Amino acid sequence: MNESPKVPRYSKALHRLAVVLTIAVFPLIWVGGLVTTYDAGMAVPDWPGTYGWNMFAYPATTWLFGPFDLLVEHSHRLLGALAGFLCIGLVIIAWRVEYRRWFQFWTVALLAAVIIQGGLGGARVVLDERTIAMIHGCTGPLFFAMATATAVMSSRWWIELGQESRRETESTPRPINSKLVVLATLLAIAAYMQLIVGAQLRHLTGAVAPKLFTAFVHSHLTLAGLVLLLAVIVAALSWLGRFVPASVYRPSGLLALLVLVQIALGLGTWVVNYAVPWEAINQQIAHYTILAKGFWESLIVTAHVATGSLIISLSVVIALRTWRFASVGTSQAQNKDAIHAAASQA
Amino acid sequence: MAESVVEIVKKHLTREVLCAFVLFLGISGCDSPPPKFAPNRLFIERMARGEGADLEVAAPDIAQALEDWFGTPDQPKWPQILQTEEFAGLVDVDRLGRAAGQVRSDENDVHYGLYREHCVNCHSQEGNGRGPTSVFLNPYPRDFRPGIYKFKATAIGRKPTRADLRRTLVNGIVGTSMPSFQLLKSDDIEALLDYLVYLSVRGEVERALIAEAAFELDAGDRFYAPELSDRDPDRFAEQREVIEDVILEVAGDWQDSFVEETVAPEPPEGVPAFAVDSSGRIEDAALRASIDRGREIYLGEVANCASCHGKTGVGDGPTKDYDFWTKEWTTSLGLDPADRDAIEPLLDLGALKPRVISPRDLRAGIYRGGGQPSDIYSRIVNGIEGSPMPAVAMQPDNPRGLTELEVWDLVNYVLSLPHEQLELLSGASE
Repeated sequence: MNESPKVPRYSKALHRLAVVLTIAVFPLIWVGGLVTTYDAGMAVPDWPGTYGWNMFAYPATTWLFGPFDLLVEHSHRLLGALAGFLCIGLVIIAWRVEYRRWFQFWTVALLAAVIIQGGLGGARVVLDERTIAMIHGCTGPLFFAMATATAVMSSRWWIELGQESRRETESTPRPINSKLVVLATLLAIAAYMQLIVGAQLRHLTGAVAPKLFTAFVHSHLTLAGLVLLLAVIVAALSWLGRFVPASVYRPSGLLALLVLVQIALGLGTWVVNYAVPWEAINQQIAHYTILAKGFWESLIVTAHVATGSLIISLSVVIALRTWRFASVGTSQAQNKDAIHAAASQA
Repeated sequence: MAESVVEIVKKHLTREVLCAFVLFLGISGCDSPPPKFAPNRLFIERMARGEGADLEVAAPDIAQALEDWFGTPDQPKWPQILQTEEFAGLVDVDRLGRAAGQVRSDENDVHYGLYREHCVNCHSQEGNGRGPTSVFLNPYPRDFRPGIYKFKATAIGRKPTRADLRRTLVNGIVGTSMPSFQLLKSDDIEALLDYLVYLSVRGEVERALIAEAAFELDAGDRFYAPELSDRDPDRFAEQREVIEDVILEVAGDWQDSFVEETVAPEPPEGVPAFAVDSSGRIEDAALRASIDRGREIYLGEVANCASCHGKTGVGDGPTKDYDFWTKEWTTSLGLDPADRDAIEPLLDLGALKPRVISPRDLRAGIYRGGGQPSDIYSRIVNGIEGSPMPAVAMQPDNPRGLTELEVWDLVNYVLSLPHEQLELLSGASE
């Protein structure tokens, strides 16, 4: 008996869960940023429990109304657990409704990633190693990007785009500028490299040599320039290019703006941490005294961290969409070529 | 009965398993050794060059002695000889332990590892002012090891009081990278002060021992040899005595000033306190007169402020000077701080690139040591230690010096400078 081939189909439940996961990971990143800003990584000395309690049973009165560091650290753990549960849900739904084999395994990879991320967080506490905190800080945004990619790849347009390609209709997208695909991919990579270098600056220990810190600062500035340049080029190509769909050019414009905001936050982060090193400029803002662990100071620094993750995720959205349009457009073009070849042979 | 999942996880989640997990990801660092204080290699080189001493054998002995008396960054010790009534109030041993070590906090919001949480990135583990961020900061973070502090209510050559250091910690230093720690609990501030004194005393003892070795030892002589405790107890006791004498001397200097209760100086009767109205105008005729007198003193030969701060107070006097922390390893060795080639080997040993120290622009209205009249008074009569700013000559010690009243007039003039333009404009309009 002939079985009809399984055509990927859109699952609202799967996509919605992926979107919920992505939305849930962003505050997780924020609170994780606060953990580092407030040096609260060791506010709870044990793991996976919290002061001997099952982490879900830890008294809310102490959690919510106890020390601020404990609030931040325990909230980070609970939000991490929530992300883990959402990933489990994704795997279950994906293996029930999804026909794309690779996507099913992708959700398993996502679950593995959140487990590894949680394990790194636990290792940072149990081993009391700030180096692991830095690694944990680098892998967190990677997981955020993976969750975002899951939302993109489970969306209706992603699936229907492929089906339109098969149907070879007039509305099928045409191939978009291949340079845009490459540049969008480079942008995502550069944004992540930038975050890694930023994590070296943020998770400083007294053991770091000034020369190494200097090298990280210069790398961070250089990469900031590169990310800005790529973001502007991608936005320009998206907005000015032909056949670029709104699902690419809109986030590209948003990303360019976000990079500008991030640069402003980066400058702010430097000022609220170290003041301005040049006296001539310093005179302009010389009446400012940095307030250690101050509200605005902490907000600016943590916003810089969270925006960095957002830039990576948004650049992954753009890269994935350009890939998708490019591959669908290319296969459509190849199909058309094959039809033309067959017709001319006839 | 079957173990719960949580119990199984707890049971097997040992340090080794987690290390293996981290190593599996290609990361090392679980077995990093506990930190140790790095020796003051710059001062060793300075003494070796300056005194022609060979300190190759003595240097590791001094490092060992420091560890024996002062411990390590994770487990600091306050020398037993200082844990007496005589030195009470200098360092609280419990608070010292709380300020040291890894950063953590507990359910009662007690914070540990305070120095690493708040200070180490700029001031470094040793308190040498050469933390990872230091090269970007202007001014450089303070090197605690010489025990010299700028903003204090004590005379040049004396240690600061606890209140002086507390004020800097709580208020921060405006316009610099030194933050205000006013949001910290007062007990945490006190713990940080204890650790700061600990690093200072330890650093000064290290310098004094290096100097002692440079002056007293012959090349190849041992400075401190714990292995002699059995073989030659008398010799070992002598070595210990030298070290402990130095410790007592350094701690004694701190004790003399540190626990002093200082009262902020106030202008005597008849000297108007500086005040401006909401539009920046100075209306009080007596204050105006005081400011005018202060201007004369500012430009005069005794105070001679204009020679550095400039006639208009914008800090444009002809000076090209350096601070103590730079001059100690440059000009005192006959090296030009601007000669990059000459100073390069010393930069490699931990010196920070020399920066010319600029006199303060008094019209900017930014006073790093505090902007209260009493702060300005202290800066004038005590100078700023470690910087080229001298203490003004005062009567009756110096018959040609300023009187207290004159200093207060000068304080009023200095405080009026940021408002002078407004004042002139308001005068013109009248």
